[in-house]
Amino acid sequence: MIHLKVSNLHKQFGGLHVLKGVSFEVNGPELIGLIGPNGAGKTTMTNILDGAIKPSSGTVYLNDERIDQLPPFEVARAGLGRTFQVTRSFRRMTVLENLYVPALAMGHAHGKARLREKAMEVLEFLTIDHLRNEFAQALSGGQQKLLELGRLLMLNPDVIILDEPFAGVHPKLMEVIYAYIRRVNDEGKAIILISHQMDSIFSLSERLLVLNFGDLIADGPPEDVKNDPAVIEAYLGAEEEETA
Amino acid sequence: MTKQIPNIAGVIVLLFLAAFPLVYGAADYDYIMHIMITAFFYAILAASWSMLSGYAGQFSFGHMGFMAIGAYTTGLLCHYIYLSPEPTGLCTETPFFGQWLVVVNPIGVTSTTLTQDCLRQAMDAWGGRVEVTRMPVPLGILMGTIMGAIAGFLVGMLVLRLRAAYLALFTLGFSEILKATISAEIDITRGQAGLELPPLYPDGVTLFGTYFEPTDKLPPYYTMLALLLACLGILAWLAHSRFGLFVRALREDQDAAAALGVNTTRYKVLVFTITCAMAAAAGAVQGHYVQIITPNLLFLLQMSLVVAMAVIGGIENFVAAAIGAIILQVLLELLRNSFVIGGIEVDMTIWRLVFFGLLLMITLRFFRNGLIAPLIAYFGRVGVAEETVAKRASTLTGPGGGPHRTEAPD
Repeated sequence: MIHLKVSNLHKQFGGLHVLKGVSFEVNGPELIGLIGPNGAGKTTMTNILDGAIKPSSGTVYLNDERIDQLPPFEVARAGLGRTFQVTRSFRRMTVLENLYVPALAMGHAHGKARLREKAMEVLEFLTIDHLRNEFAQALSGGQQKLLELGRLLMLNPDVIILDEPFAGVHPKLMEVIYAYIRRVNDEGKAIILISHQMDSIFSLSERLLVLNFGDLIADGPPEDVKNDPAVIEAYLGAEEEETA
Repeated sequence: MTKQIPNIAGVIVLLFLAAFPLVYGAADYDYIMHIMITAFFYAILAASWSMLSGYAGQFSFGHMGFMAIGAYTTGLLCHYIYLSPEPTGLCTETPFFGQWLVVVNPIGVTSTTLTQDCLRQAMDAWGGRVEVTRMPVPLGILMGTIMGAIAGFLVGMLVLRLRAAYLALFTLGFSEILKATISAEIDITRGQAGLELPPLYPDGVTLFGTYFEPTDKLPPYYTMLALLLACLGILAWLAHSRFGLFVRALREDQDAAAALGVNTTRYKVLVFTITCAMAAAAGAVQGHYVQIITPNLLFLLQMSLVVAMAVIGGIENFVAAAIGAIILQVLLELLRNSFVIGGIEVDMTIWRLVFFGLLLMITLRFFRNGLIAPLIAYFGRVGVAEETVAKRASTLTGPGGGPHRTEAPD
């Protein structure tokens, strides 16, 4: 049973208090949306969860193992994987090599043939199997997003954080990403989805977390959060004003 | 078949290099052999530097420093450590498996101190009755290699958080400090006067039924060639294993690699340790071949030469870097001959460096991955584009697909 427990997380950069005592739990294969305006602390929290930066105080436990002081590779091995807001594929490595990295790092590979078979399976699902021998730098932005998602399938973590997976992606590829999210969730993994695309967030998420300038101002079902006055004031309302 | 062209060419070149000293018989034999041995030496440095900088993205300017550590380790050990059946009573010494391990006192380079060597004084007193044994050369080379690996490990640990220009400056600083230390510690290292080393084969060696003197070129030729092939073999094995995959991921994006479970610290330190050990081994063998080492080994110009060789060959392919080093070293030597155009003499001892610099600039501007690496890559990726298109077409029209290209690493 997946259990991610974030307790009283604080992060300060000099005088800037980016996270102010954020606490939440993920129990089982939940599909959680994380939203908030720019500067709310979403990426900082993601970086703390994956070990890239250490919190000023507070703890993070994944399946009863404390992970907030672990380096990123140990967090990945503990069962938490992520994508990045700006795609970070290994550009001068082939698509297949990109997929081999997490599988081999995790020791998931059981022979060359099995590894290749698994990688091809992932690429076929993501509809980029024809690009398997191309260098990642030859892929379009959307295809590179898919490649990042493919690497997570090879990593096979319990909790997946997807940071802006829909940004700049063609609608056709978005369907693939939707299918990916549902498949991974059906396979029993918890997903934390960060996005500014409200349609996607509301249609996919079972639960929403809202961050605003370091405070977790809402945590609940999307319909409740949507009507929460604090959220409307801090984020949703502001967005409507912006679009208007 | 086309994909095999680089392999076939490699075997032909290898056979040529193996047969060359046996079939070449011109009057300048020793000179040509010397050029080739030096070329192999630079090829080891360029190939190992290519693994460190081209594969792993750790742009180090300290590679010649590690080479010098190997050379000076074996040089100092062979210079100062002896085994004696009797105690000298003058030197620092300790019992060692039934003999005495003697550490000779450093005496510097001034003429007034040359006779103050404690071992020499003891041997004079013995009157030829006692025979002392110098540190065996292979052991010195092994110790030099180990010291290079240890230094590489330590520097690798120190530069974990440094990237790009900061890493280059740190390693350059390391190399300069080493040079200054060797130059300053005249009593021990003999500074700019140079530390003499015994020849690679102090008692000569018999090869193919023929005895070769310690000064003959053929044994060091094969020794350096064997070391080059061993290094290339190790690098090839590493490049095709998960090590190669991980260090390339490290080069591409260290944070992303770590987020995917790669222990980036371990691989960064490992790649420093291995490549620095190779540089040190090359330095140790070269030191015994030329029989004298000076701090000039650490001149920035020397490091720049290695970088230029790797860049012109192809920084992201260690075989290309090695080939680039051999070709450039041979050309730099053979182009020393001046010539006359329209009554004007072109002094090639100077102009060859200008041509070399020009070639480097052209390569950097127009051939970012060198002149040889793209050729190897071309043959290795023949058919990939067609396969991508065919696979895409079959996806649209039905099942099937082209042959797979990327081998999964071990």
